[in-house]
Amino acid sequence: MKGFEQVDISGDVGLRVWGRGMEELFENAAIGMADLITDTSNIKEEEVRTIHIQAEGIESLLVQWLNELIYIFDTSGFIGKRFRVEIKDNSLRAEVQGGNFDPSRDERRLLLKAATYHGLSLRRGDDRYEAMVIFDI
Amino acid sequence: MVPRIKDLVEVLYREIPTGVGSKGRLRLTTQELKKVLLRGAQWVVEQGFGDREDLEHTESGGYIEGADPDVISRKAYERGSPQLGTLGSGNHFTEIQFVDEIYDEKVANSLGLFKDQITVMIHTGSRGLGHQVCTDFLEVMQRAAQRYGIKLPDRELACAPFNSQEARDYFSAMNASANYAWANRQYIMHWVRETFMRVFNTGPKGIGMSLVYDVAHNIAKIEEHTVNGRRVKVIVHRKGATRAFAPGHPELPPVYRETGQPVIIPGDMGRASFVLIGTERGMTEAFGSTCHGAGRLLSRHQAIKKAKGRSIRREMEDMGIIVRAAGRGTLAEEMPEAYKDISNVVEVVHRAGLSKKVARLRPLGVIKG
Repeated sequence: MKGFEQVDISGDVGLRVWGRGMEELFENAAIGMADLITDTSNIKEEEVRTIHIQAEGIESLLVQWLNELIYIFDTSGFIGKRFRVEIKDNSLRAEVQGGNFDPSRDERRLLLKAATYHGLSLRRGDDRYEAMVIFDI
Repeated sequence: MVPRIKDLVEVLYREIPTGVGSKGRLRLTTQELKKVLLRGAQWVVEQGFGDREDLEHTESGGYIEGADPDVISRKAYERGSPQLGTLGSGNHFTEIQFVDEIYDEKVANSLGLFKDQITVMIHTGSRGLGHQVCTDFLEVMQRAAQRYGIKLPDRELACAPFNSQEARDYFSAMNASANYAWANRQYIMHWVRETFMRVFNTGPKGIGMSLVYDVAHNIAKIEEHTVNGRRVKVIVHRKGATRAFAPGHPELPPVYRETGQPVIIPGDMGRASFVLIGTERGMTEAFGSTCHGAGRLLSRHQAIKKAKGRSIRREMEDMGIIVRAAGRGTLAEEMPEAYKDISNVVEVVHRAGLSKKVARLRPLGVIKG
């Protein structure tokens, strides 16, 4: 099941994401963000990267997680397809499976500058966790 | 000229890396990138990409003092290094235009502008380096705001007192990013000139392309202004605003001391862009500032919905404008209807006296990310 949807914001772009648990929400946020950058169906799963992040709160952890993925994409062209996230005490460990983006082959969607704290929300609903993140484009 | 626009757009698109995932042609060492952060466009010109006159026609001579490359994170270096000399995406562009209306003959003449002249406008900034500096310092500033007891209405608006170490470091990093941006535009301008020379098979004299002005469009600067009759040092943060200094301002280069500072105001890719000039009224009423651009009317989704089933490229071509974009949705998102009419925006600042209209530029060829 799809775990994200784009939200219309003048000048920028937002993602609403959800998951049965916090970890699934983080995974869905990463999948949703990759979908903003390109159509990942053409990206090969040829590489695994491990990411560690320590933050001061769970909201910061979400923003820093997405910004780490933006940094990795911006510097190496690596884009994730499959994410496995573990969270403990505002500390994240993730395994990301994906491959390199090729501008001559892959669809070029949005250039994301950063995930922001603007209008950020992360809460527990009745049966799932939900978050809203706005990206600077 | 007009029959060659298609060639020019194609070659410019090839020569200036543009859009998501594009890498620059430059391979700078960390030491060289440090020089870019310290001396911006000046260092780039010293490397042979442009001339002294370019720097005279660039805000602050192409770089600001007080940049500290050591407060820039490794991540920012890594993002900035391959992206120097790239255009980016979103509303960034390179545009070939012509002057279709002159409002102030005398000032236009001083700026070297005349009717039916061909111009090129470049809109880009500090790329991934600047974005990473922002991302890094947002974390620092959020902690600082907490420590200094500042209650934030939105966590993205994190701040600290200007004299704090956090703010000092940020200011140095921002200055370094601004220097990177001036360097970036200097490289791109140089390649634009090379492209014109190649397509028209002529030299620098034959092509006669000189820089009118390069002005930052998103920056905070320490300036002296009159507040309640007193001269005070203030930090002017221009975001969604552009510097527009009046005639006689000591920061202006000799060539523009009498006219005032030229201001470049980009519009949308179908209608127009403007060159304005700074005024005394702008100094007293708006800290020497004017408008920034057209501003969006439609969100991205609204624009994409409105463009559904249409070929924006064809529509633009019918208007005599050749467009080339890297991104799939870029043309729809950036179509003229998505923006306010820049003529109305400029008319407001003109009538309010914040700056004066000098020339209107119409697009002929547009490259977008």
